[in-house]
Amino acid sequence: MRDLVFRNLRGRPGKTGALVLLVTFLSLTLCGGGLVLSSLRAGLNSLENRLGADVIVMPSKAALKTDLDTLFLQGTIGPYYMNMSTVNKIGRTEGIGRMTTQVFLSSMRASCCSIPIQVIGFDPETDFTVQSWLAQSRQGTLKDGELLVGTKVNVNVGESIKLYNVSCPVAGRLAPTGTGLDTAVYCNLNTIRSLMAAAGALGGYSYINGDPAETISAVYIKAADGVNVDDIVNSINIHVRKVQAVRTRSMVTGVADSLGGVSRTVTVLMVVIWLLIWVILLVAFALLAGERKREFAALRVCGMSRARLSGLVFAEAFCVSAAGAVLGILLSLVLVRSFSSLIEGALGLPFLLPSSGTVAALATVSMLVCLLAGPIASAVSARKLSRVDTGLILREG
Amino acid sequence: MKRLSQKPLSVVILCLSLLMCVGSLTFLGACVHEDGSVGTCHWAAVACSALGGLCALYSLLALLIINKDLSAGLTLAVIPTSILSALLPGHLMPLCLMSSMRCQSLMKPSMVLLGFAIAILAAVQAYLLLTVRKGSR
Repeated sequence: MRDLVFRNLRGRPGKTGALVLLVTFLSLTLCGGGLVLSSLRAGLNSLENRLGADVIVMPSKAALKTDLDTLFLQGTIGPYYMNMSTVNKIGRTEGIGRMTTQVFLSSMRASCCSIPIQVIGFDPETDFTVQSWLAQSRQGTLKDGELLVGTKVNVNVGESIKLYNVSCPVAGRLAPTGTGLDTAVYCNLNTIRSLMAAAGALGGYSYINGDPAETISAVYIKAADGVNVDDIVNSINIHVRKVQAVRTRSMVTGVADSLGGVSRTVTVLMVVIWLLIWVILLVAFALLAGERKREFAALRVCGMSRARLSGLVFAEAFCVSAAGAVLGILLSLVLVRSFSSLIEGALGLPFLLPSSGTVAALATVSMLVCLLAGPIASAVSARKLSRVDTGLILREG
Repeated sequence: MKRLSQKPLSVVILCLSLLMCVGSLTFLGACVHEDGSVGTCHWAAVACSALGGLCALYSLLALLIINKDLSAGLTLAVIPTSILSALLPGHLMPLCLMSSMRCQSLMKPSMVLLGFAIAILAAVQAYLLLTVRKGSR
């Protein structure tokens, strides 16, 4: 019986190939779509975990020019700065539990810089947003002049990046977040201020006015326990001039809303494509069974029971489904893994490949569904074939 | 037409090779910097295009030549050429340092997938040609 199944499949390479291709599309749609949706969810979770702060305060010019919902997808707010005296005013706001500052600097596409990239300087003494993330991938403190690179910056640990003619060794690589933070490099405040001074000396950073040591880009605030975050936001926006305070929760909600829309579209497309291919598979099995009426009639004459004949059709469909499912799953894993950066860029949403456990679960579900889809599609044909009048078919010639 | 039906994989290899040849310089290629300059990723794309063209030439000759030994030999020659084109961007020739750049996010994975797909198909086609030849004796 098993030999007959494989002989039948090998005997019609074109038709077997076409059926395998259909099931491959089924599997690819299911596993690939599931992977994209899981990656988007993983990206949103990562964004929530990385934010850490309840409130971000930035220069009002930056708030006007930057789409706040995509702040963390872009990495930084751009070349906007405020003075340290503003930070002191913000610090006087009631209800602040922890507060830290960050400075952003962009390198140039020129001979003075190895790469155009966002540099984020943080204060190791007060930081509560970056260092909790660093602890997962690197132990120890960051020395002056050293850099940590995001996962999408293809520079190895131990190599150096030249920024404004200053050579900075890479001390570590951060874990992926699926956001714009992956395309930035991180250093302490002393390093970024020396880089700002170097940039100013080269004339490449005209936005920096005054002393780099007194310049910061953003303030991150964690509210004290029991304090209403909205009260802090309102207080800063009313009492401190030329700055804009934003609740990080609203930024995540904006991204989550966009993600919800994309998820719905992907799900609807997946269902439509899946149904379409399944109907085609159903028709294909029916047509192929019709073509093989004489063959099945001959098998019945040779003594094969109706149950075994149905079993033969099921076994063929099962083999075709198994081959297609494996191919589709492998193809979806390769495609989503290879083009993850492209998908992230095209969707404009955080995109982080899920854990291997989730991927294995998705692959298993896709495999099971496809293994069922083929035999179910062939069930109608198998039922019809087992009930045909053998004598009539053979007489018809 | 008969040749096409005898060597269906050669037709697929030819199409994929042409895709590599044309795509690496157009819709799958590296970007041009804002100032009009090009980086090493551009030259990696040019090299991939040349290797894709070579694969296309081999597969076209394999398709047209009746002698199965010669056809199998030409198909086998596609394998190292396509693997070389898969390894060129990012491995043998450096690309931009950011994974989000077009050369890293589009060109490199496309060339790797196309290169290895061509190599696998060429290996299967050569195996079929050689086994059919033995069987026909």
